[in-house]
Amino acid sequence: MTRSTRRPVFALSLVLSAMLLAGAAHAAVSNEEILQDPKNPQQIVTNGLGVQGQRYSPLNLLNTDNVKDLRPVWAFSFGGEKQRGQQAQPLVKDGVMYLTGSYSRVFAVDARTGKKLWQYDARLPDDIRPCCDVINRGVALYGNLVFFGTLDAKLVALNKDTGKVVWSKKVADHKEGYSISAAPMIVNGKLITGVAGGEFGVVGKIQAYNPENGELLWMRPTVEGHMGYVYKDGKAIENGISGGEAGKTWPGDLWKTGGAAPWLGGYYDPETNLILFGTGNPAPWNSHLRPGDNLYSSSRLALNPDDGTIKWHFQSTPHDGWDFDGVNELISFNYKDGGKEVKAAATADRNGFFYVLDRTNGKFIRGFPFVDKITWATGLDKDGRPIYNEASRPGAPGSEAKGSSVFVAPAFLGAKNWMPMAYNQDTGLFYVPSNEWGMDIWNEGIAYKKGAAFLGAGFTIKPLNEDYIGVLRAIDPVSGKEVWRHKNFAPLWGGVLTTKGNLVFTGTPEGFLQAFNAKTGDKVWEFQTGSGVLGSPVTWEMDGEQYVSVVSGWGGAVPLWGGEVAKRVKDFNQGGMLWTFKLPKQLQTASASR
Amino acid sequence: MNWRATFLLACWMPWAAQALASEPSNQKDPVPSVMWDFYHKQLLGQAAFVFDDRVKLLAPPFAEDARQVPLEIDARAFSGEVVRILAWAELNPLPRIVDFQPGERVLPWLSIRIRIEQATPLRAAVLTRDGLWHVGSALIDAAGGGCTAPSVVRTQPGWEEHLGEVLGGRYPRGDSSRLRLQVAHPMDNGLVSGIPEFFLNHAELQGADGQRLASLELYPAVSENPNLGFDIQGPGPTRLVLQDNSGNQFEAAVP
Repeated sequence: MTRSTRRPVFALSLVLSAMLLAGAAHAAVSNEEILQDPKNPQQIVTNGLGVQGQRYSPLNLLNTDNVKDLRPVWAFSFGGEKQRGQQAQPLVKDGVMYLTGSYSRVFAVDARTGKKLWQYDARLPDDIRPCCDVINRGVALYGNLVFFGTLDAKLVALNKDTGKVVWSKKVADHKEGYSISAAPMIVNGKLITGVAGGEFGVVGKIQAYNPENGELLWMRPTVEGHMGYVYKDGKAIENGISGGEAGKTWPGDLWKTGGAAPWLGGYYDPETNLILFGTGNPAPWNSHLRPGDNLYSSSRLALNPDDGTIKWHFQSTPHDGWDFDGVNELISFNYKDGGKEVKAAATADRNGFFYVLDRTNGKFIRGFPFVDKITWATGLDKDGRPIYNEASRPGAPGSEAKGSSVFVAPAFLGAKNWMPMAYNQDTGLFYVPSNEWGMDIWNEGIAYKKGAAFLGAGFTIKPLNEDYIGVLRAIDPVSGKEVWRHKNFAPLWGGVLTTKGNLVFTGTPEGFLQAFNAKTGDKVWEFQTGSGVLGSPVTWEMDGEQYVSVVSGWGGAVPLWGGEVAKRVKDFNQGGMLWTFKLPKQLQTASASR
Repeated sequence: MNWRATFLLACWMPWAAQALASEPSNQKDPVPSVMWDFYHKQLLGQAAFVFDDRVKLLAPPFAEDARQVPLEIDARAFSGEVVRILAWAELNPLPRIVDFQPGERVLPWLSIRIRIEQATPLRAAVLTRDGLWHVGSALIDAAGGGCTAPSVVRTQPGWEEHLGEVLGGRYPRGDSSRLRLQVAHPMDNGLVSGIPEFFLNHAELQGADGQRLASLELYPAVSENPNLGFDIQGPGPTRLVLQDNSGNQFEAAVP
């Protein structure tokens, strides 16, 4: 009888792919290119159009004067029966578009023609545990490789020209509830990923890998009490317990299943050399089981990219009792305050508050509501800590099966969920896809069981208005004022893009990709893509023309968890399509005064 | 695979005269097949060949189970001369079975189980050092459906737990020993609706200090839970290293 073991993918495949690729014309993606994105608008090599994630393009061939002539040039179907939600942001390099679809699929498509170059379908086990649809948010590019995370919590590196696997690494055990849906990112030549699984009582963690071979470089838990590590020559070296020691902000053993999953990935600020990550809800949802602040749940973390050390943290919802994950993107931007440049970072939280932080140290500068109704807190104190409305915390179940139910706004799906906002360097405004909804929520008893949902709560979502839930808002991060708003019947669930052409793009569940005047909020263009748009649009320049692409395909968390809201969206059909538009050269106009 | 065809073609230039001499088009195909010309071009790059009954391709006359058809390729008549063995099933939707490159210590003999979709000619093309392909042929009848039937492995709960497990042993046979192995893997070929390709695509047999004894490229015509058999000359432990198209790597020591 023989013995079998698994071991990491060896170098042979690397050698083989190198042989196959000898003489390939396309250049590898370098760290310099990643840092320059999107100053070189011929390509998009980062999630977020730049490592800071501002989603701002310096292109203005397309602008408010000629956007009416923006037209589709090709569309590409993801095919198969695996439609569901499509939430990727495409990347573009050397005329090839790289993107992901539902069920951990990756596509490489000719950006000029829409012709498929290759497709990779991850073979998923039957018992994956995604909390909120089988989505994926995109790839990272580095060297000659394409990276993405799978629903069974693996990182996979593909040859960018063939789509063949070069290496594959298990990041965490999917049977415990881990999965990956966010795009990984490259920081200083390291491949960084978080994990999802906060609904299953996992321990959130952020890990860095060597992109060439998948070797683990460091690991940082996002729950207080867990040891972080750096790895040298395959050996784990202790690098300090997150938060110093266990039990400071968690009672008993609950930190061992504390959640705080950094499921939405992160961004990088080269000016401070910090990785900025958000963390998810503490587990379980029933907050009476875990008195304390429950660090580092529902927080923003700044990490040293070299070893994963936490440099500072800001907790938006201490002792969360409403599933107000703190994962939403923290976007670096600079502004002038009385002639002094402020290195700030902004985030629009699930909990309904918009925060501006000093990104050099995580200190709170200001915060204000960005939705019309917030009931769980009456405001923020001088440090940005919420002033709770204790009547809005659902009651402890006690000896009953169910504690007292309360109505709370925003709903647990958040005043803003995963869909990334955009920051326009010309207008100085953030364009925030938000939703106006509330929920009835109550607590229930719960005990941890590996791989099972760990909530201890029940809930149902309710719209706050008859005629709209979604609101695209232009928000001034310095004055705290809302400059304009555009309402949408269904909840917004797609990312935002803004450009030097005074444009803001986003999609709707009703299937429209829409463009707005960045200054006034007037809708200046729309196109029906055939299914709900949840993806993040991109724009780039090719052959002297400006292109726009977005994925279309309804799904995501809203139809799964949306309660009364789900009724509003139940007739939206699923899809799986990549749409690409351009402004033909002959219709380009000089960018007029806007 | 075009690069490979071109490469082979280029290599064969010096033997062009010899190829003409063998007049391949006039050879009688022992299992007349409408597909021969196509595969001669696609897989052998139109190189010189002979239909040669010294290459024995043993298969049952009728596939009782089209998902698990035992196949034995025996080119021991050319022992010491074999560079490479290609096998395919001509009427399969995914015809290629294996690309086997036995080293010095491994006999040009292979047993393997395959799937077939319908009655089909089978081929094993053996490249010898003189540059000539010796093509062995067989015909197999079948009720069909082996390539598009749903996996049996996948209906067993917990199959993922056993992925890549290797069962097997090594049995002495005179001056050689026979290695028989079975690897747990669904070998999904992408033809069953909604199930992406997921198959072992590379295997390497290694000696004591990691030197390569034989290498195999595997294709999704190979049955799920693949069975493999090799004949190895000389003593010493061996290891089988396997890789699938999802990047999983498996290893088994066979003392």
